[in-house]
Amino acid sequence: MEKLIGQYHQYPNTWDEMFDASGGVRSLYQEFSSFLNNIEFENLNQMKDFSNQFFRNQGVTFTVYNDNKGVERIFPFDVIPRIIGIKEWTFIEKGIVQRIKTLNLFLRDIYHEQFIIKDKIIPPQLVINNRYFIREMINLSVPKNVYTHISGVDLIRDKSGDFHVLEDNLRTPSGVSYMLENREITRRLYPNLMPKHKVLAVDNYPQMLYKQLKTLVDKSDPEIVLLTPGLYNSAYYEHTTLARLMGVELVEGSDLVLDNHEVFMKTASGLRKIDIIYRRIDDDFLDPLSFNSQSVLGLAGIMESFRQGKVCIVNAPGTGIADDKAIYAYVPKMIQYYLNQEPILKNIQTYQMDHPDQKEYVVNNIEKMVIKKTDGSGGYGMLMGNNVSEKEIDDYLHQLNKNPKNYIAQPILNLSTAPCILDNELVPRCVDLRPFAISGANKIEVCPGGLTRVAMRKGSLVVNSSQGGGSKDTWIINKSEDA
Amino acid sequence: MLSRVANNLFWMDRYMERSYGLLNLIKTTYNATLDSGDYSDWSRILTTYLGKTPEIEFRNHQDTISTILYIIFDDTNSNSVLNMITKARENARSVQEHISRELWLSVNKYYLHLSQDNISAKYKKEDPISIVNELLQYNHIYYSVADISQERGNAYCFMNLGKYLERVVQSIDFLDVRIINLDQNNENLYESYFFKNLLISIGGYQLYLKTFKSIFSIENIIEMIAINEKFPRSIIYSVNKLNIHTQRLNNFNQINDNKLIFLLGKLSSTLKYTTIESIKIKGLENFLKEINVDLNKISISIDETYFNQKY
Repeated sequence: MEKLIGQYHQYPNTWDEMFDASGGVRSLYQEFSSFLNNIEFENLNQMKDFSNQFFRNQGVTFTVYNDNKGVERIFPFDVIPRIIGIKEWTFIEKGIVQRIKTLNLFLRDIYHEQFIIKDKIIPPQLVINNRYFIREMINLSVPKNVYTHISGVDLIRDKSGDFHVLEDNLRTPSGVSYMLENREITRRLYPNLMPKHKVLAVDNYPQMLYKQLKTLVDKSDPEIVLLTPGLYNSAYYEHTTLARLMGVELVEGSDLVLDNHEVFMKTASGLRKIDIIYRRIDDDFLDPLSFNSQSVLGLAGIMESFRQGKVCIVNAPGTGIADDKAIYAYVPKMIQYYLNQEPILKNIQTYQMDHPDQKEYVVNNIEKMVIKKTDGSGGYGMLMGNNVSEKEIDDYLHQLNKNPKNYIAQPILNLSTAPCILDNELVPRCVDLRPFAISGANKIEVCPGGLTRVAMRKGSLVVNSSQGGGSKDTWIINKSEDA
Repeated sequence: MLSRVANNLFWMDRYMERSYGLLNLIKTTYNATLDSGDYSDWSRILTTYLGKTPEIEFRNHQDTISTILYIIFDDTNSNSVLNMITKARENARSVQEHISRELWLSVNKYYLHLSQDNISAKYKKEDPISIVNELLQYNHIYYSVADISQERGNAYCFMNLGKYLERVVQSIDFLDVRIINLDQNNENLYESYFFKNLLISIGGYQLYLKTFKSIFSIENIIEMIAINEKFPRSIIYSVNKLNIHTQRLNNFNQINDNKLIFLLGKLSSTLKYTTIESIKIKGLENFLKEINVDLNKISISIDETYFNQKY
């Protein structure tokens, strides 16, 4: 195995989570590297097979549709954990809390007084013309003033080791069930190492979520449900897991009815009133009367119930504007504006493509840039300037020029890498980190760790699961680098 | 509990019970062909259970093997074992927060076993009884896991409604199709293995021997399958179970409408005071017809009370 570590070739100009620039093992990974030194490669492959089998038996799968036939796949999992020290984690945690607090204030502001626009911090057209800005939400007070109950903030580490926020996901971010299952399996894979490292627990996430949701209504035992689009949704596994672990009903739109603007579910013992709906369907499909009239996933009239305060919808409709890629560039200014604080976590420099000077700079430096559609997600609709042909660039810019305000650009950052077991080798692969934060009436909690997503292809920077990305368990350990 | 969830639990067990019945039938039919060399039963099974009119006449052992593989693995026939287990598992997947983790794992493993790539090719060369036994083992595990791990609440009762409704339908079919249609001129009828295989297919051979020793008569078989309270696949046994579970459900859900309780109580009492003599006077066909009418009413009433209430 020592040979394997010796053969580990780091990416150039890239931070590696386990090794420093000279190839030495970082102190956080000391014990883990002695574990690697004492294990046969064969065993690592067995661990890999074991985890695949585990996921399959548990039904931890997502469905891919091909020729009208659903094929269930398991989300690729790498057995080597990603380790982060407590000091760094505390920093990240503070940064996320600061950010979520700000974004929540921003949402409250733009749907009410719009001070931030009047004070010229954010250009009005960016808000008013934004497709995620929902007019139905204007002047509507949401329970306990919380809009973004559940968020997943994507972080990446640059070549000097600093964390940057890549995206704030405020529209029902997924992946938390993989965080839980990854931990389930690593407990089994590392029966010695796990307890020794005193890894901070993640398995109380469902309880944490339930408790925070409860604070949204003034009722000792509110009826909370999780609304899923149904069995055929690719994240259905996550919906069942969360419902099961929180002990709440998993409902579909067809289980719900309205009576006098109260929301009820149809049960074997009659109708039962619902107080809080954690919905895992997008705004567009929530209410055919207010949004997409073709939708059968939600419930007609539910927005009116929400307006009348008869039911609490989590996350609140209209939160999408706060994680929009164009708004993202203004988050550091928002933090200063609303909290009068310096941003803890850095943003990535973002260029607005409808701004002539900024666009010119991007086009001149295209090989160092990634251009994204502001309404794109899942790694779709973006152009990585470093490995595309001139024609592809021209075609993309041609599309972009039709509607430049729908595009932003960012410098390509070298995501940090972590060692993975692939094809009988220990190889570096790019990773990001998505910690999950929950806001209740009184506080914001961040689950220690989160989901480390891995770009499984060599050299790739795309970690999205829809594009072949995988994941690792994330250990927050009570030790700090060089401590 | 959500009505949709209750309905899915009901169907989860119904499909499991149905697959169990079908697998047992495959096993005994295969066994019977070993004794008699008569392969014609396969054609009846395909028509009755899989809704498929066979194109060929079944003549030899090879036909038997390909038929068995068809019944188990054909993914285009919605009544194949594979598709039934897929549906049972689909139902289980949608009610995971109401069934024990162990029960979910047992259904999922069954499904994963059946849906492996090339499994039917692998099975082609194996002894059919071993194949079926391997699958039946999954059904047995499912029942035991449900028994030891499932909380005795709404979910358990809805599962049992599905299970016993399916089972009583199978028992009635057995009497209706296999006993009433019995060809009195069939020469096999006088061979000892005929009744043995018939009884094994409904799982009652041992109990029959204990009760009636080795004297085989159609009357005794009817009595055992219709009204023997100790026989877990008799009509009366399943009806009594349905009765118990609906009473529990009525309590759990505080249902004021007693229609379902009434229907089941009535059927249960009728069966209690039925003897083989009274069945003979009425005629087996009429006796079964009356039970079928009652079961239809019960089934509609379950649907109206729990799954599709009107508001």
